[in-house]
Amino acid sequence: MKKTDLFVIASIIVFILSLAYITALGGLGPLPPINVRRIAINYLNLTYNMFTPYLTVFALESVTSIVWDFRGLDTLYETAVFYAAIIASIALYRGVYIDFKKNIEKMGLSPIAKTVTRISLILIPTVAASVALHGHLTPGGGFQAGSIATVVIVLSIIIFSRYFLPIHGLSKNKALLFRSIGLLGIAVTSIALLLIAIVLGVNAYIFQNQAKIDAPLSFPSLVDNYILGGSLLFFNLFEFIAVAFGFTIVFLLLSISEEKVKKVTIDG
Amino acid sequence: MLEIFTLSLLTLFAITSVVAAYLAIRERDLVKAVVYSAIQSAMYALIYYVLMAPDIVLVYIPVSVGLIPAVLLFVIKKTERYEGD
Repeated sequence: MKKTDLFVIASIIVFILSLAYITALGGLGPLPPINVRRIAINYLNLTYNMFTPYLTVFALESVTSIVWDFRGLDTLYETAVFYAAIIASIALYRGVYIDFKKNIEKMGLSPIAKTVTRISLILIPTVAASVALHGHLTPGGGFQAGSIATVVIVLSIIIFSRYFLPIHGLSKNKALLFRSIGLLGIAVTSIALLLIAIVLGVNAYIFQNQAKIDAPLSFPSLVDNYILGGSLLFFNLFEFIAVAFGFTIVFLLLSISEEKVKKVTIDG
Repeated sequence: MLEIFTLSLLTLFAITSVVAAYLAIRERDLVKAVVYSAIQSAMYALIYYVLMAPDIVLVYIPVSVGLIPAVLLFVIKKTERYEGD
């Protein structure tokens, strides 16, 4: 590091500290209130509340309750954006085939890195599954778990080789299939109660989790003293599958060598 | 006392992230720049943790320290490693 670097870093730090001081004194406009806001109080009250059965979610985690129940439709459209992004990347790589090689023992990084990765190939999906399945009880949820699980894909592509996943049966089309299953699961979960209500002839809403005053159906929230959080468990599980395999598709496509992609996309 | 400790931790992480961001911009070797940017993101993750947002931490660590550097490394492999003048 040069002297000029140190000088620039020091001046940036002084600038930031003085800016923070000015902001803390209220020089850049009024400060937000320190107290818990009214909407937050309502969320915290209603996340798990036995005494207001028509308003509560019956899950212990308020963030997941907000994400998949109070503002569930927003999250559905966020998932749709992610879906469209994956579709775009598949469209960019149209016509490019992921080739196949059998002998990959000599490829990739050193045996030490490979051994460490073999251990984490089991550990990381376990953590991801626990984050997804406990998403309604502890911090975490479908998207978090999906991105944690994708780290395994990235590790195996970088440490072993890009042929590692296709050899072990995870091709692009299979990942696409699983991702579609995940998205289908989200879609079915969001209208499941509506479909049952049509059969039974009662009232229901899209994205309904627990029973409302004029809509008596609800997802199971408590099974054998275990809190399920109604639809949150299903949403987290299916979002986990959709996100993990969506990212898998992107990384499988990104790992194809540039010459091959150019040959297909430019020369046609 | 606890508040001062929290605030000083936050200051430390924030300043480290700024230094890492500066080094990432200055660095000519793009692979090293990606590592600096991952350090900056790790500091942001710690800031989220101190600010009691564990949900964000859980998604921020794999995405910003794992996936984004991986995407950037793939992209660097497709172009050049060293930035020209």
